[in-house]
Amino acid sequence: MIDRIPSGFNPFVIPFLVGMGFVFAYCIYALVKILLQLSFEDRKKFFLSLVNPKTAAKNIRDMFCDCLFHVKLWKRNPLLGYMHSSIAFGWFMLIVLGHIEVILFVPTRINLFYYPIFFNFFVAEADQTMKGSLLFFMMDFFLLVVLSGIALAMVKRVRSRLFGMRRTARPSLVNTIGLYALWAIFPLRLLAETFTAHISGGSFLTGPANWIFRQFLGNDLHYLPTWWAYSIVLGIFMCVLPFSRYMHIPAEMLLIPMRNAGLKIRNARKGLTRVQVFTCPNCGVCIDACPMSVSKENIKDCTVYLTRQIRRGNEKRIAEISDKCLLCGKCEALCQVGVQGPEIRIQQRAIRDYSIRQDFSDIAVNEVRKSHVVYFSGCMSQLVPSVGRSVESVLKKAGVEVEWMDRDGGLCCGRPMLTAGKTEEARSLVAKNTEMILSSGADTLVVSCPICYRMFVENYALPGVRVVHYSVYFDELVKAGRLHLTKSDLCYVYHDPCELGRGCGIYDEPRRLVGQSAAIAESDRCRKESICCGGSLGSLSLTFRQREKITRAALENLYASKADAIATACPLCKATLSRFSDRPVRDIAEIIDLQSR
Amino acid sequence: MKNIVIIGGGVAGMEAARQLLALGYTPIIVEKANALGGHVASWYRLFPDMTPASEIISRLKKEIAPANVFTGTKVISISREKGDYSLTLDNGVSILAGAVLFATGFKVFDASKKEEYGYGVYDRVITNRDLEAWLSGGEDKRISAPKAIGFVHCVGSRDLKAGNSQCSKVCCTTAIKQAIEMKEKFPKAEIYCFYMDLRLFGKKYEDFYINAQRDFGVHFIRGRVSEVGETIDGRLQVKAEDTLSGKPLKVQVDNLVLMSGMVCNQSVSELVRQARLDIDDDGFLRSRNNIFDILESNRPGIFYAGACTGTKTVPETLAEARAAALEIHNYLQNG
Amino acid sequence: MADFGFKLSKSSTLDLDRTDTRVYDILCKTDPDIRTCMACGSCSASCTAAPFCGMSMRKVILALQRGQDVRPMLGKCMLCGKCTMVCPRGINTRHLILSICKYYD
Repeated sequence: MIDRIPSGFNPFVIPFLVGMGFVFAYCIYALVKILLQLSFEDRKKFFLSLVNPKTAAKNIRDMFCDCLFHVKLWKRNPLLGYMHSSIAFGWFMLIVLGHIEVILFVPTRINLFYYPIFFNFFVAEADQTMKGSLLFFMMDFFLLVVLSGIALAMVKRVRSRLFGMRRTARPSLVNTIGLYALWAIFPLRLLAETFTAHISGGSFLTGPANWIFRQFLGNDLHYLPTWWAYSIVLGIFMCVLPFSRYMHIPAEMLLIPMRNAGLKIRNARKGLTRVQVFTCPNCGVCIDACPMSVSKENIKDCTVYLTRQIRRGNEKRIAEISDKCLLCGKCEALCQVGVQGPEIRIQQRAIRDYSIRQDFSDIAVNEVRKSHVVYFSGCMSQLVPSVGRSVESVLKKAGVEVEWMDRDGGLCCGRPMLTAGKTEEARSLVAKNTEMILSSGADTLVVSCPICYRMFVENYALPGVRVVHYSVYFDELVKAGRLHLTKSDLCYVYHDPCELGRGCGIYDEPRRLVGQSAAIAESDRCRKESICCGGSLGSLSLTFRQREKITRAALENLYASKADAIATACPLCKATLSRFSDRPVRDIAEIIDLQSR
Repeated sequence: MKNIVIIGGGVAGMEAARQLLALGYTPIIVEKANALGGHVASWYRLFPDMTPASEIISRLKKEIAPANVFTGTKVISISREKGDYSLTLDNGVSILAGAVLFATGFKVFDASKKEEYGYGVYDRVITNRDLEAWLSGGEDKRISAPKAIGFVHCVGSRDLKAGNSQCSKVCCTTAIKQAIEMKEKFPKAEIYCFYMDLRLFGKKYEDFYINAQRDFGVHFIRGRVSEVGETIDGRLQVKAEDTLSGKPLKVQVDNLVLMSGMVCNQSVSELVRQARLDIDDDGFLRSRNNIFDILESNRPGIFYAGACTGTKTVPETLAEARAAALEIHNYLQNG
Repeated sequence: MADFGFKLSKSSTLDLDRTDTRVYDILCKTDPDIRTCMACGSCSASCTAAPFCGMSMRKVILALQRGQDVRPMLGKCMLCGKCTMVCPRGINTRHLILSICKYYD
């Protein structure tokens, strides 16, 4: 293998160099800017995590699994997983192998960083070596892998259902340009390498193709324009990359270490939010995931469009999209790259100006009677009295003495305030409730409403108090033999409340309890894929009619299990589902109360 | 002579049958329950004259004796056949009818759907229907010497959340009637009616209201009940806003009577689909026109009477049934 | 000034011709459902904040229609959403409260 062109340069590499230079400059600029946007503590945390061997190892593993192999996509749909990983990993290997070729055969050129990309143009085959043929074979092989991925991508454009996606995001203009450039890169590379294969050598793909072309193309005049074309589409792709969804390629490499460093979204537009916005690949998985997408009118309010509008700076749409969302968290749970749609939305809500603000610091709170176990039922439970009554009755049966702190009404836990973006007000409520709970001297706080439970877990500091959802508490009581369950003949399907399941990761205890007191069936979409009941307080602007459609969709999913009744563990879910349900909807506490001694 | 099938043997169906008999036809009544009479049969007395419901029912029953009556029977299919309708009953009988009258009525709203009112959760929360059954001489352990009784108007009516945004028409007057009846039984009991608007539109209804105020001292509170709780001694704590004084209000009662409204009868929806009848936004059957053609459906030969097209009082239902008989007669004569 | 034997004080009559309904008019655009309120009082009776500040969504809506001050009532709203759950007309009272807090000056 020898250098064919003494200068090591040909003008056709210029478009690639321009594009590459631009992408590098942009990424460095963005990286510095984002790091500067982080708070001092977050920045420190981030840098420390980079040198921590455990996190560093996790970073590398995640980058391989997420960026190159798309493990999550494989789990979702193998065809979709293959499509993405073939392009990502194939392209990665082409670059790596290109570098190996340069190091092995023309080591003096390693400082020219276009060399590995256009290697086949610049070299001529002197005498075949085993190493060369293996590398050529691998280059052709990975090119074929990428091409198969591109072919699948083209099929997916027209038939996304084959890939397990009902709907995909509508591409914007810049995304379309990027897409076509990306599609063009690899066929052009194949052509370019094919045309020069008789000079530089080729393998099973480029070799025979070169032979075929040479049968009817008499001269070599066509090969330089092809290399030009290859370089130009590369250049175009690089130039649109920062403005298109393909920014997710470099951005994900920053998001992974940031996530592993434990950073949280703290700003509407800056820092981690910006990284996540850049990392959104516009795949549109969140569209099918979103419970609101049962109505066509809401499709443009899914997370993929939120990130797009934040990039465009369209304030009106950002506000609309942020306010409509139920914050059910399903898009986040299914997102391949980890965009935190709900958290980003809450931050958008938090930058509003309100001329009337709430303050709870001056309200007098009730003393809570001293008790080891205190029960907090939450505001919504007052509209669903069966829950509180059943919880109390079950605890009594198990011999637990309990003080019901908000039996006759109390203060809100603050989560509705927090998710509405009123952070200060929420803090003020947290302070009051904390005061009340601590005054009781309790060591256990039993909570029945998942909304409150999540708030207590995430936003309260209650030293010496164990916060526990009643489903977990009951499960422990059963295990400890303090509660005895008998099975009824009914068959229940369990509806996972968003805040309890995706929000707090409690999936098994409620199922275990239902399973011990009745037969249990599963719906198609359950656990982290469960559909929001539509009643969520997360949404600020959804109307009752729009919510009704979501509720009906959630019910259809539950009906499909053919169960006689629906079980859930959230007063809001119960109230919302039972409005339109054709079969009974019961809270787990009620079921346990009926089936326990 | 062509057959006439009347689906539903409540007061609408029976009165239509009575009139058709008078016109010389022998109608066929198909009633899914085991006895004729529908909802009215389960009522004690009817406003505004406190007429015993059983009187109306037994009179109607006597007068329609010559008609063909299938009780405990459902129509399982209906299809159009050359200008007539072919109906199959679940007892295997099939009928070719020249005209069909839908007198399928309504359903009483399931009060447990409004859990905040505690029906099915708290023992002493009952419905208007439960109270009528008790007044008719039934046993009900939930009612024993109450010192205070609350009546909640508009339960499942005028309520989008309950799936019925329409007024049920009869509940205001029924609440007043039942309030008076309870006051007669328990003169010392305080009675509270929680209402949003009092809709006392019919003949003598206003007198009834004045009666309740002046002679029985029933308290009328303008505010919709929002929540019901239970005290330690098992009484009910009712929460509402007294909108006239602008203050939140709570009161303890021994019984709370929920005035369950009238909602569309979903059990006929399969039949309605087969006959290709139009449904209104409120779920009730849609008349061709709400002024002139209330009794006519969008299909020739199918007629409506009573609460299948919307909420009605008993006299309105009877009047419609009479008119429907005449419409059917005209249709068969001219068709 | 002549003494007429009575004091001139601000009339307590609501003069609808001179009522400032600017906020209400904005709300009719942002939250058109506000017009469908039938003043049943469900929102007020279920309100978590009512014991602390006399909050009543029914009164707030009426006060806006009559051009009166609503500030004190909204100062303790916890956005708990019960009022929205119970509203028989399906009014999104929670969004309405946020809109009022935003547009009230």
